[in-house]
Amino acid sequence: MQNKTKKGAVEKVFTGIRGFDEILMGGVPKGRATLITGGTGTGKTVILNEFLYRGITQFKENGVYVTFEEDKRDIIKNVLGFGWNYGSLIAQKKLAFVDAGALKEMTFESGQSYDLSPLIERVRYAIKKVKAKRLVIDCLDNLFSRFQNRDAVRQALCQIIAELKELGVTVLMTAEKSGPEQSLSRYGVEEFVADGVIELALIKGQQQFLRRMFVIKLRGTNFRSGTVEYEITDQGLVVYPKIPVENIFAKTDFQVRKGFGIKDLDDILGGGIPQGHMVLVSGNTGTGKTMFGMHFLMQGIGKGENVVFVSLEEPIEQVKKTALTHGWDFNRQEKEGRLGFVTTNLIDISNDKLLYHIISAVEGINAKRVVIDSISSLLSATMSEEQVRQFLIQLSGYFKANGITCIMNYLSLSNFGAARGQLLSHLSTNEMRLSSVTDAIIMLLFVERGQKIKKLLNVLKLRGSQHSKEIFSYEIEKDGIKMGEKYEE
Amino acid sequence: MAVKYVLKLYVTGVTSRSKTALENIKRILEEDYKGVYSLKVIDVLKQPKLAEEDKILATPTLIKILPPPVARIVGDLSNKENILLGLDLVAVR
Repeated sequence: MQNKTKKGAVEKVFTGIRGFDEILMGGVPKGRATLITGGTGTGKTVILNEFLYRGITQFKENGVYVTFEEDKRDIIKNVLGFGWNYGSLIAQKKLAFVDAGALKEMTFESGQSYDLSPLIERVRYAIKKVKAKRLVIDCLDNLFSRFQNRDAVRQALCQIIAELKELGVTVLMTAEKSGPEQSLSRYGVEEFVADGVIELALIKGQQQFLRRMFVIKLRGTNFRSGTVEYEITDQGLVVYPKIPVENIFAKTDFQVRKGFGIKDLDDILGGGIPQGHMVLVSGNTGTGKTMFGMHFLMQGIGKGENVVFVSLEEPIEQVKKTALTHGWDFNRQEKEGRLGFVTTNLIDISNDKLLYHIISAVEGINAKRVVIDSISSLLSATMSEEQVRQFLIQLSGYFKANGITCIMNYLSLSNFGAARGQLLSHLSTNEMRLSSVTDAIIMLLFVERGQKIKKLLNVLKLRGSQHSKEIFSYEIEKDGIKMGEKYEE
Repeated sequence: MAVKYVLKLYVTGVTSRSKTALENIKRILEEDYKGVYSLKVIDVLKQPKLAEEDKILATPTLIKILPPPVARIVGDLSNKENILLGLDLVAVR
């Protein structure tokens, strides 16, 4: 990603906040002021702090913190929780405060004949002291509520912003937003001084608050529209940008096959799964879906490819133990950087977040194979069918563009107990509905024959490739899956 | 007589407003507190560091340090009654 823009266009500066710069398509407008609005607890101040901290530590842009709310000492203490050492940055003359937090003593006004020139002077002084390129103001409401002469406050703010523009200093500032109707317009500031407005909101989830972000405007520059989710972690903010759907470019290659390394199965598939395919492995509980996935990953590792396992059903530790009983040391592969894991809390799950985690894991080790265990657990969680479909479309767009082959497990309840001669009669409509997003379907079935439960496999669909149409029996053994004979009744 | 009233007046540069404020507070102090007050005038333009330490946002600002409690008045100090009330001062005479 880069934030170079056309000549003459508004330049941008990276905030350094994970995911945020992607939404803003390169960062916040350089030398301009961007307003962050939102209610209490939305994390406005965290954004300001991270913008300053990343600016100083990653982009060599020193910063000034103007606070009308919390005391300087409290702020320094608060950000230590994120591991950000402001004390040392101040000592190195990389960070300066304009501390205008609440006063202990009473202040009276005698007439309205005053101005806020000291504020302007103090800002100038601080900027000069550390040669700042970034400045944050927290928060405007506090400043306005402190003075009766609103014009004096407005004038000072406009002057500060205008001066900072001249100096090429980029500004982030906050304002409270307590209701949907309320905005900073009540002070007449938003329109005049802010070139960008970003709104934050808290939404009640089932178990926790969900945080949503929305870019309202970013004058003169592009940004991704729409609501996105973000979180406050112990290392700062993480924004989960929507992954743009890329349908133009696909690295799907039918000549390159990704095998399972299960004897005969790769032959049934005409050599393996074509590179870039999204494969649905559908079957009831106990059919060995997870095991097929593990085979697929281990085969990839054996061929020198890195892989990712997305475990939505079981804790990762348990997955590792299961793998070990079949002789696959997932721990070792993980330590060697060959295998990455993704997991998430299924309650209050979100598309954007899960996509972000999967793509981060894939990019982290440049993985070429991914197993998602399972897609059906997304459906049974709080994601709606439509959300799951969107998720798959986005994921598939990304995987295809990057030549990543993906196995998605799907728990199908309707494949059990098929009547004689009607093995597929109960094929659930869900798989059919997901079928448009999938390039291949491998069906796993149970049948009860002669006092025994048999496991059967059929390749129902394989886009752009020859494959066997027959039904095969298979068994799950200690060292993995063993394909058996063609099944005939 | 010892100094009992300690005050600081913050101004920004020499403007008609800062002159008015200084004249106003001097008149009050000379009238009622002659000999027992000390007034320090600080120009924010010359000493921004002091303005930072005292968290000054607006000028003119008058700070009464002694006697306690510390109090501030923002404005051109034209209303004497207001000032005495705001600073919790009573005439010594």
